[in-house]
Amino acid sequence: MSKQIKSLLQQAELYRSQGLLREAKKKYKLVEELIAGSDKLPNKQKLLNGLSKKMEALNRDVENIEKAPTTPEMSAHVNELIKKLFSFSSKDKDAGNSALEGAIALAKFGQFEGALEEFEKLLNVKSQRLSAAKNILRCHLEMGDIETATEKLEKWQKGDLLVSEQIEKLTVFYDDILEKKGLKKEPVVEEASAETASQEEKFEEEEEFLDISAVAITFDSGPYKGEQVELDVSFQSGNVISLIISSKDEALIENLKVGVRLDDVHFYSPVAIFRGAGLVSAMTQIKSGPKKGDYSLDIKIESL
Amino acid sequence: MAVFNLKKREIECKIVYYGPGRCGKTTNLEYIFKAYKKQVEGEMVSINTEGDRTLFFDFLPMELGKIKGCDVRVQLFTVPGQVQYSSTRKLVLRGVDGIIFVADSLEVRREKNMLSLKDLQQNLKDYGLNIFKIPMILQYNKRDLADEGMPIMPIEKMEKDLNRQLKVPSFPGSAVKGDGVGVTLQECLKRTLHSLQKQFNWAQK
Repeated sequence: MSKQIKSLLQQAELYRSQGLLREAKKKYKLVEELIAGSDKLPNKQKLLNGLSKKMEALNRDVENIEKAPTTPEMSAHVNELIKKLFSFSSKDKDAGNSALEGAIALAKFGQFEGALEEFEKLLNVKSQRLSAAKNILRCHLEMGDIETATEKLEKWQKGDLLVSEQIEKLTVFYDDILEKKGLKKEPVVEEASAETASQEEKFEEEEEFLDISAVAITFDSGPYKGEQVELDVSFQSGNVISLIISSKDEALIENLKVGVRLDDVHFYSPVAIFRGAGLVSAMTQIKSGPKKGDYSLDIKIESL
Repeated sequence: MAVFNLKKREIECKIVYYGPGRCGKTTNLEYIFKAYKKQVEGEMVSINTEGDRTLFFDFLPMELGKIKGCDVRVQLFTVPGQVQYSSTRKLVLRGVDGIIFVADSLEVRREKNMLSLKDLQQNLKDYGLNIFKIPMILQYNKRDLADEGMPIMPIEKMEKDLNRQLKVPSFPGSAVKGDGVGVTLQECLKRTLHSLQKQFNWAQK
């Protein structure tokens, strides 16, 4: 039995050194049961005392991990790095959007103070104003400060920073969040804090893409140079739309190779036609079914 | 998503180390940081919490030099493995070009490996990516623990658990000793650059 105990203890120590604390605890428990159930061990109580100390230390480790802040305040250097690494738009082509993505990343990593600073700056950028305002409200709610969030909204409602249509959208957005959280507009800081801590993924970027039903592509090179070709959208997932191209249309297939950038595309949605750009991200030949032999083409919408 | 600058002939891609908590993702990066000093471009950034657990991510930028007439830069990231950091994990995965899935060879971590792989598949799907199509490598880490009498899974069992459908290259490893770390990264880079070649046609022939 002492051999078995020794082996189990060795495993427990190794799991502990690996940071696998629950696994280590299980092994210690097994050892405890073995020792407690044995009448033959001469130093039984001493062993149990020693084991108890080990388990106490392990419990302290577990507790420290569980109590550790999940969103500690980071240094300015780390915050800069987060902004840089998690803004995916080109800084040169769309500085406003790039800055917004960086600020959202800060918020997603729980760096609310830093994020708020960035969003406040973005209020001065006309194209990002509404998104910045929405995220400012979200940040305050995440910090459990419903009072400041409400004050900010009221200030914008009275001022002229946002146009009436934006104010309307912002108010609907804010009421919606409060409703989802089961909050009222009066200051209920403690409740807000408890509610927000359990939520995840609230800082969604403005990625909700409109349903696109068809596209019209104007080609600037190749066999279709200068022509506009209309195609129906067969499937859409986020900002990627799929189109079916007949295998007979060899010239079109030639024009739409993977990696080709389409700078002049009209995207038809139920509400309006938008002019934008896209990138051919995939083309696969359909292997079966009525469209067998035709091509399924994916276009990633890059701007709308 | 890789960044390709046609004018400067530069390509920058993102490789993410994924896997369950405490499987050795950060240890992989730490070894790379020490062993590939020439290619490392700057410092390794680790954002840890209590017990050396990755809280947000680890980040290591590398400069591979000229490959087929193009300057190749790589950003290596690790995700936080603990289950509760799912939103952070997903955020770090955004824009990924290649994945190294680090599986823990310890028998007691079998289920965690499988859950983490499923989590990866779902997160990729949410970004419109297909786990079967993205360049990916498996690393079966902590093989050295067998020498210390710890129950570890045979490679065949891990292949069956994790790679039966994926059928991607896999390597045994011991990140603390550096075994298998380099070869895993090299193979992932090879596959990633090959995949990017198909997308951007960046290489000069």
